[in-house]
Amino acid sequence: MPAPALVLRGVAKVYPGGVRAVDGVDLELGAGEIHALCGENGAGKSTLAQIASGNLAPTAGTVTGAERVGLVHQHFELVLRLRVWENVLLGREPRRGLAIDAGAARERVRGLAASHGLDVDPDAVVETLPVGIAQRVEILRELARDPRVLVLDEPTAVLSPPEIDALFATLRSLARNGTAILVITHKLQEVVSHAERVTVMRAGRVVLRTLTGDTSIAAIARAMVGGELPALAARTPRATTAAFVARDLAAGDGAHALRSASFEVRGGEIVGIAGVEGNGQSALTDAVAGVLPYSGDMTLGGATLAGENAEARIAAGIRTIPQDRQTEALVLSWSICDNVALGDQTRGPMRAGATLDRAAMRTLATQIVDRFDVRTPSIQTPMRALSGGNQQKVVVGRALAHDPVLVVAYQPTRGIDVGAAALVQSRLIEARNAGSAVLLVSFELDEVLALADRILVLFRGTIVGAFERADFDRARIGALMAGAA
Amino acid sequence: MALAGADPLAGFAALLHGALGGTHQISETLVQTTSLLFPSLAVAFAFRAGLFNIGAEGQLVIGGLCAGLLGAWLTLPGWLAIPLILAAGALGGGLWGGIAGTLRARFAGNEVIATLMLNIIAGLFANYLVVGPLRAPDAAGAETAELPESSWLPALVPDTRLSIALVFGLALAALLAFVFRRTVFGYSLRAAGDAPEAARRAGIDLARTAFVAMTLSGAIAGFGGATIVAGVLHRFNVALSPGYGFIAIAVALVGGLDPLWIVAASFAFGILQSGSLTMQALAHVPKDVVTFVEGLAILGLATRRIVATRSAPA
Amino acid sequence: MALVLVKATPLVFAALAGVVCERAGILNIALEGALTAGAFAAVAVSYATGSPLLGLAAGVLAGMLVCGLLGLAATRFGVDQIVAGTGINLLAAGGTAFGLVVVFGQPGASPEVNALGKTGEVALALAAFFCAFALQALLDRTPWGLRLRACGENPQAVRSAGLDPRRIRLLATIAGGALAGLGGVFLALGELDIYSDGMTAGRGFIALAAVIFGRWTPLGAAAAALAFGALSALQFVLQRAGVPSELMQALPYLAALAALTGLAGRARAPAADGVPY
Repeated sequence: MPAPALVLRGVAKVYPGGVRAVDGVDLELGAGEIHALCGENGAGKSTLAQIASGNLAPTAGTVTGAERVGLVHQHFELVLRLRVWENVLLGREPRRGLAIDAGAARERVRGLAASHGLDVDPDAVVETLPVGIAQRVEILRELARDPRVLVLDEPTAVLSPPEIDALFATLRSLARNGTAILVITHKLQEVVSHAERVTVMRAGRVVLRTLTGDTSIAAIARAMVGGELPALAARTPRATTAAFVARDLAAGDGAHALRSASFEVRGGEIVGIAGVEGNGQSALTDAVAGVLPYSGDMTLGGATLAGENAEARIAAGIRTIPQDRQTEALVLSWSICDNVALGDQTRGPMRAGATLDRAAMRTLATQIVDRFDVRTPSIQTPMRALSGGNQQKVVVGRALAHDPVLVVAYQPTRGIDVGAAALVQSRLIEARNAGSAVLLVSFELDEVLALADRILVLFRGTIVGAFERADFDRARIGALMAGAA
Repeated sequence: MALAGADPLAGFAALLHGALGGTHQISETLVQTTSLLFPSLAVAFAFRAGLFNIGAEGQLVIGGLCAGLLGAWLTLPGWLAIPLILAAGALGGGLWGGIAGTLRARFAGNEVIATLMLNIIAGLFANYLVVGPLRAPDAAGAETAELPESSWLPALVPDTRLSIALVFGLALAALLAFVFRRTVFGYSLRAAGDAPEAARRAGIDLARTAFVAMTLSGAIAGFGGATIVAGVLHRFNVALSPGYGFIAIAVALVGGLDPLWIVAASFAFGILQSGSLTMQALAHVPKDVVTFVEGLAILGLATRRIVATRSAPA
Repeated sequence: MALVLVKATPLVFAALAGVVCERAGILNIALEGALTAGAFAAVAVSYATGSPLLGLAAGVLAGMLVCGLLGLAATRFGVDQIVAGTGINLLAAGGTAFGLVVVFGQPGASPEVNALGKTGEVALALAAFFCAFALQALLDRTPWGLRLRACGENPQAVRSAGLDPRRIRLLATIAGGALAGLGGVFLALGELDIYSDGMTAGRGFIALAAVIFGRWTPLGAAAAALAFGALSALQFVLQRAGVPSELMQALPYLAALAALTGLAGRARAPAADGVPY
């Protein structure tokens, strides 16, 4: 084994209140290796990454070799209104006297980008860049500090398949030059294809540590979950009529706009929108949900939907599971009971005249907690005390509670543990079986392949391909997602 | 207090004696309590909707102005005049709050700046009207003519300045508590304040909510101004408020934005306000110490984030 | 007209203070308190020592203290910036009124003190405009300016770059405080030679309006402050023509309201302005 670049011994992180985010972890990272770190949400991977990079102090244990560790975050931490070179060199700006030497800065960034094959214009303002390019800026910023170790947290979440290949090519060349690379990912296909060794964490501990050549995707998945993956609900064959129709729908502007989409979703089917993040999915779902102005028309059961009006959508039977549950779906400081009425506060059964019908709210909350296996001491527990998976279950439960005509599920299993994800997916299938039309928008191709009856591929704001379940072709769909003709 | 060369203990004693030492003192304390209660409820109301109403002072002044002008002019019997006068105060304050509300709702203008500006404009406007054209001929200072006695708010305790406004205030607090906890309107308001994006997607119109919240907040503060005019001073005077609108922010925070606790907090601050004059006279501690303390209270108590999400104007 | 400059200088200082703070992400509504404290300290020290220069130094220190308190409250103690600002304004108002009695033995206003004199006034006024240009260059061209701007847009990114955004914000508020203190000094020792209760008359708030008008740039805010100063100077002229003085006094505030409607054009505030980190 090559000389270790980073060694963690017995590292633990215990938060006040007793939560053991990391519980006695040993990890050795060799210079020049690509090492994958896997685990469910809440397993402690991100915490460990923070400790490894020196941003967080462990409660116990030692970390040696961590003087120059770069950390590329999952959610970029870039200053959008500044230029690329300003972001890359923030804190280590080249100077001429008292001022910044902007010319030297640009040159340095150009040179850095070229030597790592990361093509980017130093003068571009970050906010104008597409997501894949913005990630390069984040990586460059870390590379500018000449790190011995580079940690990347879910780096491929926002990239298309060819961009993923390019990223790993860059990582391999960095590794060849002696940098140790730690990639946190839940995409097991990538782990097996690109990493030399893999470490799996569960509940703060290491449960598997092996060469990727000696293991399989299934074995890694089992280690992550601690058992077999729960099976999905069965799909019943459906006779369907068009419930929701969109014609020439366009919304939003700029790089992530929806340019033009025409499609339908029938009652009793799941239509999956496949695509890499940033190709118009947000504009699409926001237009359907009634929170974004749009052009073109949409009808539900034959009746035209009225403009930008979220209230009317809900009244008509359209329910949304938004992408970001914490800011778009829930009031974290409120209880479960108070949250279940959100969206229905102006109509019965949640409403009794001018007041809220608290009994009805309690009944619904209890139903959701039961049906969705929400782990909570009571329905009066504040939402923020629940784990991400349980929060999402409440969101989904609320959306499916009133037999919706159309369910728009946008990244319904984002950031939740495998068990919760399987339950959510099963409930969506059951809703489909019961006759609801389901529009699933997800950046995880595997999820779309597993759930959808039909797949539409969205690229740069237009639909570039349609597939029936019998004809699902992973390779072809992936190529369309990346913009192949 | 020690800085002023006075004896702190004597100062405190004078404060408490001045606030609670006898029927007359207690009634004065309650007058201060009432004057603080309305703007505090107003500020808390806006806070719950996610808005900073720093303009309660101005809304109170405008409300008082409207009430004073109408009251001096009306010659109707009391049972008719009084509701009209109070309503005028609420309307004036509501209008004033509505300006900030419109700026926030239609133009996404920062309501902090808007209400701050409106405070000063209100003061200047009132000054202009009352020093000039509408000044009472027999007035001692910048004030309107006195309201006819029939239009005065009936006293709660005879021969004191304490009027039934206190009862109105308590009723309002109870009403607001009910609105927040039980009604659909209160639910929507709280959602807009606690999680604006989630509220928007749940069909709540944030712009409309902001407008309504600022207007109602202003109306409550304006009503308070009207009660000062009709119940305490019996005329409008430009000096009717020693900064109640700003102290109200402290009171609202101390009360944790809960209407019922705000009643208690108003009483506590009422003690501070009414006792401060005695403290100054007897123990030679300048009454501004109290203002200083109120500032400290705000800083000290605001360490937990009261307004959960500071929703930046869209 | 010289009167315009006299009226504008305190506003320019306060507006510059506002820009520095807001670009770093702190919405500083305690500028009013800083002006008050600066003015009071300047007069008090000038009274005690007879030296207006020492008074100037005291005014700057007072401003730094007041705004520094806001910065501390907002960055270390997690107090909401608006709430902290309101509290500090009350502190300053009460403290200075109280101080009048303690220091001068009389409420309401101080006795006359040694002031800056004509040369001092001119020097400070020039300094104000020099500061505007200097700050613009500092923000745009230097590393500290870059880091400050980054703090106002995305403090998380600053943290990732290995810097401490809370420290930067605190330093920014203290620097702003120094500027605001100078504004207070000019008000008390430049234009006049006394301190009176309430003499700042909302200038700290007009300064916030000037920041918006000036699109959050030092030069823009200074220009807006100059315009407001001109309005203030016009007041006397128009008053003789029969326009009520209150209307003139209200003009800057009305203009600020108009600015909020976007009449002045919609530029965006720093993304993290007012957002705690």
